[in-house]
Amino acid sequence: MTTPIAIDELVSLERGEIDRRIYSDPAIFELEMEKIFGRAWLFLCHESQIPEPGDFFQSVMGRDNVLVVRQKDGTVKAMLNTCAHRGNAVCRAEEGNAKSFLCTYHGWSYGIDGRLLGVPGFKTFYNGQLDKTQHGLAQVAQVASYKGFIFGTHDATAPPLEDYLGATGRLGLDLIAARGEMVVVPGIQKFIIDCNWKFAVDNLFDWYHPQITHASAFQTGALGTEPSRAPAEKIDMSGVNMDTGAALDLPGMGIIGTKFDQVVVLGEYGHAIGGPTASSSANPDFENAWRSTAQAREVLGPVGAKVAGHPNIFPTSWVTSVTGQLSLRIPRDPGHTEIWWFTLVDRNLPRETRDFMVTVASRVFGPGGVLEQDDGENWAQATMQTRGIASRRVKQQLTMGLGQGRIIKEGGLARVEGLTSEHGQLWTYHSWAQWMKGLSWDELRQATTPGEFI
Amino acid sequence: MSAETGLRPSEERIAAMVRQYEVERFYYDEAAILDAHRYDEWLGLFAEDANYFMPIRRTRMQRETDKEFTQPGEMAFFCDTKSLLAGRVAKLKSGRSWAEDPPSRTRHLITNVRIVRDSGRELEVESNFHLYRTRLNSEESSWIGSRRDVLRRVEGSFQIADRKIFLEQTVLLSRNLSNFF
Repeated sequence: MTTPIAIDELVSLERGEIDRRIYSDPAIFELEMEKIFGRAWLFLCHESQIPEPGDFFQSVMGRDNVLVVRQKDGTVKAMLNTCAHRGNAVCRAEEGNAKSFLCTYHGWSYGIDGRLLGVPGFKTFYNGQLDKTQHGLAQVAQVASYKGFIFGTHDATAPPLEDYLGATGRLGLDLIAARGEMVVVPGIQKFIIDCNWKFAVDNLFDWYHPQITHASAFQTGALGTEPSRAPAEKIDMSGVNMDTGAALDLPGMGIIGTKFDQVVVLGEYGHAIGGPTASSSANPDFENAWRSTAQAREVLGPVGAKVAGHPNIFPTSWVTSVTGQLSLRIPRDPGHTEIWWFTLVDRNLPRETRDFMVTVASRVFGPGGVLEQDDGENWAQATMQTRGIASRRVKQQLTMGLGQGRIIKEGGLARVEGLTSEHGQLWTYHSWAQWMKGLSWDELRQATTPGEFI
Repeated sequence: MSAETGLRPSEERIAAMVRQYEVERFYYDEAAILDAHRYDEWLGLFAEDANYFMPIRRTRMQRETDKEFTQPGEMAFFCDTKSLLAGRVAKLKSGRSWAEDPPSRTRHLITNVRIVRDSGRELEVESNFHLYRTRLNSEESSWIGSRRDVLRRVEGSFQIADRKIFLEQTVLLSRNLSNFF
């Protein structure tokens, strides 16, 4: 594509319409890599994964492979996994402990801080004239940690992490951090869905799909709970017809229904939290006691105490408040997204409770999870249809609750209350468009500050 | 042929062959049941106290390969009891399990069956598998790996008392695991 991409024509917050090209156009994907993934603070890993000096975890920022390494002085560095000489990766393991990183091409070796230490033939072939101090591993421009969650950005001019997160992003992470002394359970689930990354992100705000997409999981006890046959406060399902002609028999379950209060928090830079309020999603089967501790109440505050939905730290970090997990939706190309699941538990939980939480996590989400296994095909098929020249002319619709969301500003947070809506997705796409314009950080913050209505 | 007599195998050897034959036949029947989507029957092959576990595998340096797989108590792709497997089966049969409706086409190939321990009541058996899946028009998944089972002798056949599944993948190269291994 040689003509500039007219971003404002792709997303309309007023009409709730999105041009489907954004899900498959390679030029748009390239622009996302530059304007979003080249600038945003991105989640790398959790401090508990790399407790000892030399411990490393290999993460991803856009298409850059990044080594996150615990230093001898206890700090954390993140550096690009590419040899300063000819580009080869200096580490091939996903995680582990290293004394140094060796490039297997010509043997340049680096300390765990990224400094170039050894160059074979330094005296003979380079005549001792290579300035080793200039050829260490490239460091990620900024690295910072919020309550153990380590983030990095490629942009040296990006605002500090806490400002970037703002009240909404911090609350999102607090919904895990406030549970106790959180540690990542060994084993990051990683798998690839053949969909555009934005389908995997916008779905986390979508509380309209569970009763259909996940009907089988709720109905049959596959979640490990008793099958829920009690009539739910049913959503009006008139018009739903199974292809057998039978009516769709809906399960009653805590996360669906009409008299189901929702709260959507909208934040600067595109962060958002969407879903049920804490009182309407109470599910006795999941560990929820942490919410009533004095510590959690203080950290969450009055608005945070209401929130039980799904936070997204823009662009791709989904905090699942029910299972205490963080999921990355990593774009690989326009049609492929790698999903990573980090599972966190309070280090001080009794063994039995911890084992229960770990089992729940693998049963619900991830490729074998009874919820997520049915999501992938929706997103893959939706992505596929955006490639058809006529199909992609059909606008993507995000009109549920459009224009009816009155934004309440309280405690530094902007929120909309009501029933199931598409406000979380709308906010994400509106913010996506502002990022794609390449605004200055100040302009971007302005353009993603919630107004009076959505 | 037998090294012992040069003419006919010893009784001990014949017993080992019969045992091998019975275990292999059990696995071939199980594969046929799975590929025919007869999930209730498949569930019936498991003991009430069975566990079904697929750890996560990580690329590690050679000196750290002992940490390649996660252990029970850590995160896994599957960590199920029989009642959870029953939940998965009910889900598949519900008529609303969209990732398997239309059903995927699967073929389980079971090879390299090795009985590594026999305590009389239970056998520990290692086998290799290839689970091949196609879905809709263009989706293809292929999983190769090994299983380590505990088979319990019951009424002339076996029950699966424990199954551990080890995949030859770290990042799972497919969009889900909606089939059984």
